[in-house]
Amino acid sequence: MSVRRSSGLIGALALALALTGCGSSGNAADPAGRAGAENRTRVFAADNGKITIPAAPKRVVATGYAVPALIEAGAPLVGISTWKRGEPMMGKEALAAYNKLPKVAGEQATETNYEAVAAAEPDLIVIGVPAPVLGDIDVKRLESIAPVVAIGPTVPSAWRDLSRRQADAAGALKQFDTVQAAYEAKAAELAKKYKDALAPLKFGHVGSYGEAAKGTFQREFSGSWGTNVAENIGASYYGQVKKPGPGSKGVSEYPSLEELPASLGAADAVTYSVKADGSLPESVKYVMESELWKNLPAVKAGKAFPIRHTEAATYGQAVQTLEAIDTAFAPLLKQ
Amino acid sequence: MTPAGRASRAGSVRPAPQAALLAGGLLLLAVVAVLSTGVGARPVPPAEVVRALVDFQGTDDHVIVRNVRAPRALLAVAVGAALAVAGALIQTLARNPLAEPGILGVTAGAGFAVTVGSALGLAAGQAGQLGFAIAGSVCAALLVAAIGRTSPLRLVLAGVALTAVLSGVALGMRLMLPDVFDVYRFWSVGSLAAREQAPLALPLAAIGACLLGALLLSRSLDALTLGESVAHTLGAGVTRVRTATLVLITVLTGAATAVAGPILFIGLVVPHLVRRAAAGSALWLLLHAMVLGPVLLLLADIGSRVLLPTGEVPVAIVTAFLGGPVLIRSVRRHGEGSL
Repeated sequence: MSVRRSSGLIGALALALALTGCGSSGNAADPAGRAGAENRTRVFAADNGKITIPAAPKRVVATGYAVPALIEAGAPLVGISTWKRGEPMMGKEALAAYNKLPKVAGEQATETNYEAVAAAEPDLIVIGVPAPVLGDIDVKRLESIAPVVAIGPTVPSAWRDLSRRQADAAGALKQFDTVQAAYEAKAAELAKKYKDALAPLKFGHVGSYGEAAKGTFQREFSGSWGTNVAENIGASYYGQVKKPGPGSKGVSEYPSLEELPASLGAADAVTYSVKADGSLPESVKYVMESELWKNLPAVKAGKAFPIRHTEAATYGQAVQTLEAIDTAFAPLLKQ
Repeated sequence: MTPAGRASRAGSVRPAPQAALLAGGLLLLAVVAVLSTGVGARPVPPAEVVRALVDFQGTDDHVIVRNVRAPRALLAVAVGAALAVAGALIQTLARNPLAEPGILGVTAGAGFAVTVGSALGLAAGQAGQLGFAIAGSVCAALLVAAIGRTSPLRLVLAGVALTAVLSGVALGMRLMLPDVFDVYRFWSVGSLAAREQAPLALPLAAIGACLLGALLLSRSLDALTLGESVAHTLGAGVTRVRTATLVLITVLTGAATAVAGPILFIGLVVPHLVRRAAAGSALWLLLHAMVLGPVLLLLADIGSRVLLPTGEVPVAIVTAFLGGPVLIRSVRRHGEGSL
């Protein structure tokens, strides 16, 4: 056998082996190859530490604030908690998806159905509840089902970063970025439109989480639920919490109704949260039916504006908030 | 004390000292009421309080006094008087110094109705809660009266049993329905805060009419305290008096609970505090209770506003702290009471 022939044989064998190898990695009938691609993982920094999660999750369970964020981002959801407060702000498609998905938990963290979570066979669980509420969830039990990433809200305005991290964990950033871009374009447009009207005004906000039965109202400051979207178009909310606490207590407080003049007397304009259908929540109605409200300089000057969808926690929902603010602030352009 | 002794003591009540005592109580009530309208999240000087009432200028201080605190003080007076008089009536009727208005199931009936109303989505606002609380109080009282009309002991047992059943069912509903629990939790801790915008005219008118009715019934109650057979001998219509007293207790407790939520201890404590001064006379017992009940509730309400630097404590919690020691004292002295 000549050296040349031997070399040709070896070359043919190597080529055959190489062709066989390429064929197996691209062959859908070969489970070993697909498993290799699907089993790729990455380390994700969450509230509960650095968690190893699938690089491209295929079956995701979401709870809390992660529910609207991941529905909007088009994540591959197989189970969610109920999220009644967000239902009025969901678009038709998002609401249809929300209704269709199996519910594996209720409104409260304590209402998590661990059997239902297991039955959904997730490869990733995204918990979107505040850190203190995590104690109500048996995270170890969930971790025995699938990797768990906890990404919960801190201050209200953090929903932007929060929803992005949730979408990132679920491998759904592409659609997320599209919706975010739409929001930012709309906010920039409105900021330009209201620049002159908003610049000289000091705003105050009455939120919907006051407790009429206790005679209190919710004053929201910069960075709170009722103010953070309006701030994106140039509204400036003055003041700060007297005794700040963690989370939302750093940007909102609950004074007695008797303190309404002291709290909002210096405001040039006042905004207040209303329900998605435009009606007044019980706590806001209590404030507005008081003579103290009617005595406020901003109210006397006709500068009290209702804002819908102040609970927005996703960019898609916040686009609706921007539209609501545009409608509410329209009279300012005529003054 | 024997019936004869009590009759003798009741007959020996001297009006002049009693009237002086009552006048002193009314003066104390006026002072506490003015103090109550000046103390709060936004302090208002006493002179400004008076000016707000007699020469309203529409300033923020005047609006707070006239639109927020004066209605609240009026509510405290009405609720305090209603609960204290209801307590005096039920203790006299049941001839039990530990009886209190809620023992007839009225409070539990109101709470059950508010729970059901919340579950149906109809008791979210103050007006809705008011309506359900009144309806629940009346239904519970009618049921207890129907079961226990034949004797005071049976009446009390029926009330306790119904309270247990209604409380248990309502608790179960609240545990299963978090939204219902959310609505109920504020109502369930009696408070006088933020009631100034509620529709109070009807409940307050009912309380006023019942207080008057209680005074008109006092002579018959004097006879009833001597025992049924003696009362019969004296010509009192025992069944009629008992029925009328039950109606008064029901309306007084039901209206007070409906407007302010469950406030315990006022109905238990006040009759004990004034019984010695009344010297066995139902009329003076009721009159003194009508004055001291509001004084105690106003003081508790002031305390509820200033005890915590972070905000108000519901007044029912303050009355519970005040009433607890008195209840213990009453239990220790049980058997020495003269009813």
